[in-house]
Amino acid sequence: MPRPSLPSRPSRPSLSTLAALRRDLPATAMEATGMLALKLRALTGRDLIDLESLQEVMSVYYRLAALREQHRTGEFDIDDFGFDAAFTEALLPIFRVVARRYWRVELSGVEHLPRSGGGLLVSNHAGVLPWDGAMIKVAVFDAVERHARALIANWFGDLPVTSWFLRRTGQTLGHQDDTLRLLRAGELVLVFPEGIRGTGKPWSERYRLRRFGRGGFVEVAMRAGVPIIPVSVVGSEETYPMLADIRGLAQLLGMPYFPITPTWPLLGPLGLLPLPSKWLITFHAPVNVTEPVELTTQVGGQRHPAHDGDGADQLIEPGRVMELADTIRTTIQAGIVEDLMRRARVFRG
Amino acid sequence: MSQGRRILVTGVSRFWGAELARRLEADPDVEQIVAIDSEGPGRPLARTDYVRADIRHSLVGKLVRGLGIDTVVHAGLIVDPQQAGARTVHETNVIGTMNLLAACSGPDSPVRRVVVKSSTAVYGSEPDDPSFWTEEMSRRSPARNGFTRDLDEVESYVREFDDRHPGIAVTTLRFGNVLGEVHDSPFARLFDLPAIPTVFGFDPRVQFLDEVDAVAALHHAARGQYQGTYNVAGPGVVVLSQAIALLGKINAPVIPFVGGAVAMRMLDRLGLVDFPAEFVRLLQYGRVVDTSRLHKELGFVPTRSTIETVLEYGRRRRVRGLVDDATPYRYEHELEDFLRSRGRRQPDHDRAAADPSAARSAPRRRRRATPRVTVPAAPASGVRRRGAARGPERDRGPHP
Repeated sequence: MPRPSLPSRPSRPSLSTLAALRRDLPATAMEATGMLALKLRALTGRDLIDLESLQEVMSVYYRLAALREQHRTGEFDIDDFGFDAAFTEALLPIFRVVARRYWRVELSGVEHLPRSGGGLLVSNHAGVLPWDGAMIKVAVFDAVERHARALIANWFGDLPVTSWFLRRTGQTLGHQDDTLRLLRAGELVLVFPEGIRGTGKPWSERYRLRRFGRGGFVEVAMRAGVPIIPVSVVGSEETYPMLADIRGLAQLLGMPYFPITPTWPLLGPLGLLPLPSKWLITFHAPVNVTEPVELTTQVGGQRHPAHDGDGADQLIEPGRVMELADTIRTTIQAGIVEDLMRRARVFRG
Repeated sequence: MSQGRRILVTGVSRFWGAELARRLEADPDVEQIVAIDSEGPGRPLARTDYVRADIRHSLVGKLVRGLGIDTVVHAGLIVDPQQAGARTVHETNVIGTMNLLAACSGPDSPVRRVVVKSSTAVYGSEPDDPSFWTEEMSRRSPARNGFTRDLDEVESYVREFDDRHPGIAVTTLRFGNVLGEVHDSPFARLFDLPAIPTVFGFDPRVQFLDEVDAVAALHHAARGQYQGTYNVAGPGVVVLSQAIALLGKINAPVIPFVGGAVAMRMLDRLGLVDFPAEFVRLLQYGRVVDTSRLHKELGFVPTRSTIETVLEYGRRRRVRGLVDDATPYRYEHELEDFLRSRGRRQPDHDRAAADPSAARSAPRRRRRATPRVTVPAAPASGVRRRGAARGPERDRGPHP
């Protein structure tokens, strides 16, 4: 990111000059880059520098500078989960540029996203590092101006900086009571039922969905009385093709897996750079889990009253939970297959 | 007068017991307040009858019966392990609670209400904790230190007592971090440092409860007939960095995220800081409790939110030391003494055990207006008290 650096104190100019420089420098830099972009287009006939992306990145600089003052005095708002909406929205343009320019994310079915009220987004999970979460969050925000609150693996809770960053940008650990609390507050929650089993898949098993947990996500949606929106993501598997997983080293470092990709750890930190695959994200039609649809398959289902629900008399049938979890998994898998067929080439397009 | 409440308060030498006793003194429904502790009251008290006794002593049971105590508020649990030695903390918390509950048991017990002041420390502080602790949740990992283990044990005694005595309303209040002018707590000590050490890479969510609200919550629970366990914390949450910024302090992320507890213990040994080692975990992972049960079932809403508590603490800190709060009471207590010597309040024979007039002639420290009856902690011999018609010590055998 071209964050303009200050001139290294040239013979102590007066404070106002410094402040003016500091204020004007980003704009000047942007103007210069813009002119360069136009010249390059005239020369090569192609957009080598995307002005729109440039503008997005510049906005991050200005918004963070504005926020810094608020953070210094402590006058900022976070919600009870530690989510800072202003901070998240200030950083969002970076991820938007990555989504548009790097992975060329193609969206379909955004009309299925609810504009208000709770909803549970259920997605497949892949790609060693959870970039898919960030991409879905950007897509949701740009479509309906809402923040999807992703549930993250417990493992992240103990990571310095990362745990702080994830929580501040709206994520929380995957506890059922917390999820219920978010959904009842009318939030959109994003969940990856495959968990780390999904991101830790070897390359040979790409796009094959793992077990969807124990169907806990269906139960929580039922108790909150919110629809489930299945999401299928194509492209995340190719960001870090995982060739091998060194179990011993992972255990030693306390990590869920230690991946070997074509670039990691061979190229060092450069290996953390994801590959620029072509992404397709599809939001499927919402599945209403509050109304019992097919009563025929409830064989031997034990009845548990959903005791603390708002729809207090609704019953949660384990059979129905598993059945719905299966339906959603099938929907996502079918969506992936369809999108894979639609995507002509993995890295181009 | 005869319908008035008779309340026994423990832990009166510390913040909680003393402040509660003061609050109860202003409550016209409370007929008698008996404070019990092995040390003198932490604040000057007016109409509270103070009995110097260790709550580990079997005298408590006789006191309860002799005075016809209907409500016992156990405010004596030490929840800041730095307040006393590890052994004292264990003895006071575990053995003291055990004995106190035993004193309230039995078919002849006049006790109808027991309020126990516990701590949200029972939930621990781990990286994979839920974002909100509700009362029925419990820690998934074993206790990391003796103090938390003791708290578990105390709460299990209280639960057992509750199960065995359906006629007694047992209320457990789990208090979060209490912050205020008077109360000494790890967070108060932390916020008094010029630069505040935090754990690098972590910014935990925490809650604060104003000390006035904390005592009000205890009072509220003692007045009503509530059953069960309640989390008590100020509404809303704050991240530690925000609290530090609001106090106008410097955030110094100097505690390593691995081995922070060891570092803290070393600094504590050197006398640089005064925090329990497990406090680091709170600074790293934080702890937030759900207080909806407190609001809905107990009907208690703290007047100050978490953020307001922090701001108020900042305001109070700036004038600390300028206003001497001890001075006004000295005069009041002399007036009180004068009024008492005029025999305004004639104690009846049954309550003679804690007769205020008995203490009038006793030597008294200057600032303590509270009448004292001295009972040695252990063993039970040579109990000197006067005017006890149904003296509890009369039928006591040698104490084991």
